[in-house]
Amino acid sequence: MRTFRQIRPILAALRSHKTAVTLLVLEIALTMAVLGNLVFIVYGTVQRSHVSTGVVESQIGLIQSIGVIGEDNPGTVAGNLAAMRAAPGVADAAYGFLPLWHADRSPLFLDASRQHPAVHAYEFMGSQGLNRTLGLHVVRGHDFADAELPDVMDVLMGKVAAPVPVLLTESLARRLYPGGSALGSILYDGTKSLRVIGIVDHLRGEITGSPSDDDSLVYEFRVGTQNLGGGYLVRSQPGRLPEALRAAAAAMQKANPGHVENKVLGMPELRANYFRSDLATGRMLVAIILILLVVTALGVGGLASFWVQQRRRQIGMRRALGATRRDILHYFQIENVLIVTGGVLLGALFAYALNLFLMHRFELAHLPAGYLLVGAMVLLALGQLAVLGPALRAASVPPVVATRSV
Amino acid sequence: MFGYYLDLAMRSLRRHKVLGALMMLAIALGIGASITMLTVLHNLSGNPLPQRSGVLFHPQVDPRPADLPGASEEPPDDLTYLDAVNLYHLGVAPRRAVMSANWLPVRLDAPDSPLAMRTDRATTADFFAMFDVPFVYGSAWSAQDDESHAQVVVLSKALNQKLFGGADSVGKTLVIATKTFRVVGVIGDWNPQPRFYDIDDGAFKDAEQMYLPFFTWLDLPQDYGYGPMRCWGNDPGAGEHNPKARQCTWAQFWVELDTSAQVDGYRSALKQYSEQQHQLGRFQRAPDVRLRGLLDWLDVRHVIPVTVRMQTWIAFGVLLICLVNTVGLMVAKFLRKAGEIGVRRALGASRRDVFAQCLVEAGVVGVAGGLLGLPLAWLGLWMVRQQPVSFAASAHLDLSMLGAALLLALLATLGAGIWPAWRASRVAPALQVKSL
Repeated sequence: MRTFRQIRPILAALRSHKTAVTLLVLEIALTMAVLGNLVFIVYGTVQRSHVSTGVVESQIGLIQSIGVIGEDNPGTVAGNLAAMRAAPGVADAAYGFLPLWHADRSPLFLDASRQHPAVHAYEFMGSQGLNRTLGLHVVRGHDFADAELPDVMDVLMGKVAAPVPVLLTESLARRLYPGGSALGSILYDGTKSLRVIGIVDHLRGEITGSPSDDDSLVYEFRVGTQNLGGGYLVRSQPGRLPEALRAAAAAMQKANPGHVENKVLGMPELRANYFRSDLATGRMLVAIILILLVVTALGVGGLASFWVQQRRRQIGMRRALGATRRDILHYFQIENVLIVTGGVLLGALFAYALNLFLMHRFELAHLPAGYLLVGAMVLLALGQLAVLGPALRAASVPPVVATRSV
Repeated sequence: MFGYYLDLAMRSLRRHKVLGALMMLAIALGIGASITMLTVLHNLSGNPLPQRSGVLFHPQVDPRPADLPGASEEPPDDLTYLDAVNLYHLGVAPRRAVMSANWLPVRLDAPDSPLAMRTDRATTADFFAMFDVPFVYGSAWSAQDDESHAQVVVLSKALNQKLFGGADSVGKTLVIATKTFRVVGVIGDWNPQPRFYDIDDGAFKDAEQMYLPFFTWLDLPQDYGYGPMRCWGNDPGAGEHNPKARQCTWAQFWVELDTSAQVDGYRSALKQYSEQQHQLGRFQRAPDVRLRGLLDWLDVRHVIPVTVRMQTWIAFGVLLICLVNTVGLMVAKFLRKAGEIGVRRALGASRRDVFAQCLVEAGVVGVAGGLLGLPLAWLGLWMVRQQPVSFAASAHLDLSMLGAALLLALLATLGAGIWPAWRASRVAPALQVKSL
């Protein structure tokens, strides 16, 4: 109680330093505005980098094998896949695409006239067994049956007449058929018609942070004696990805002297590459956040220590009149809380305004109120930390100072 | 007088060491952050080819269908195969180059040499002269080679190093996409950034490893992509295996025009061509052409990455906060000197003198802060260079940025000092002297 009774005299004292106090409040408010938004951006990036693509990433590897046209090459897709499956540590293999690797959205249509695209979604295609290799979870409907798959050359040449069986992600099914059931429906991409046979839980083509990342469809085709270059995917037994991938790549190269193995990498590496520049930006922003905190602490601490020096005599008088060291310490601490609180309240407004600007210019999301609360806590704590030194020095001013002239 | 004020400023700073140091540190951090980002921005928005940028132009035509939902006003950046060939043969510009890029399997012309994918730019003979490409060995191919679809290749210095150990390889042969090519030249260090002539894939990509004649390249047995292809209509993959697909743009095209008369002439030729294609029914839209100079083109295409622009804003936000901090500390400091100022005023110093004295002190803080900020900026740029992003490597502090840093620090602190100094100069001498 005793501490709180000090508030009134503190306010009175602050009134005679209006300018410096106003500037400090302004500084804290600006810091809070920038800080809140930066932390929001950085935290968003970190969160995004942990979103799963929906496939068993720790077990999947990619061999990008480029067929050289005109070179003799005895390998066939079926033969390659068999050779890869025979390699030690390999659980399954397929020819096709995987998330975070040249994923691109294609338009999908609900009617054959193809006038207006209903959505743009990621299309994953691959050989029979792509679903098993990626480790997709079919939650409704049924998985691909080898007998119903179209032939790869018909698909690549755009010559399939019958609808191609596809799996949709739940997200895409909801978007295409809100309220209805997607199973059994027919839809169209640029060149063929597709029949929905099942729904998988998740399959993200990219991780941009948008819910539409999860709008994907998968279809398989039958491969055999064709000689195809492209992405060969390996699924290893748990924990054996590096050795399985190496062995599979060696088997591939042996079977295909006319191919160039341009890229051999596991999905963990692919993911690291995908997020590298985002995380780098995040690190820069963290550096800026630290600079801001340091500068604000300097401002708060600097002014406090200046005031302590200025008020040595008054402090001495208060001590001589019976104030304890604790009273003096609390005086400066409460003064700091008042100033920082003012700054934080104004800062919440600034943060919101800055967020609107960033939303407008850089497509940032809306800043949740929680960040403001945490920002306020951090700044209050920082203020207390910065003022502690000067306040302790004030508390140690001896009463005898009051009797001396300046 | 300035010398005296400088002396006073030094004394005052020495007396309140902590406060002075805090101000300088705050300024230094603000300057360090903003100069780091300014340098990155400065490097990114530089002129990639200063000696030639005035005469290089980028023509665009609009072959898109009339009904294309969501299409932008701007004609496509690149040309379709047909337009590329037609404009190449237009023959109005003194020099022109059509080009695209992909990668091709390459091996030495020796049994059992290993295959590797190498990036290549397919272009026409004028490319090297237009873009001022230096040669270490040999020279560019000729227009005749373009005409006859000759199998010749120009290597980058790095690829020549890799394949031939850096020796003069002119006349040696390579197997590119199973065909035998003769090396006619090796270029020196040349890598304009932003890579203005092809920004489809990001503006800060490196130059390719080798150069082939465009029409020879099109003849090759290949299916390795044809540059960043954009197709309209429902099938985005329409041109994947067929670069001649009419709805796909992928060829970059540049012309050299040396006089404004030539620019006007070329623009009307471009319009005339569009008009003619419109009449033939191939262009459905009313003729819409662009002919931008190199720098204009980079400007319109906003090649500066959005993260860099955002970080620059943020860095200046930090500087602003540092300055507010400085203003606060300076107000406190100058008012603390009220007694001293009162004495000076009583002894005859005018308000202007006091104002000037305070500003000099602010300036000293600014210059010291700026000097302290330089190593911080250097540290910041070192951090930027560690980033795995394509534009990071070019981030270096040059002399002009050093000067800019000091100037910015000085101006910013003088700006921040004006108001505290003005307040100090308003101190009433009588009141102060009485209280002493």
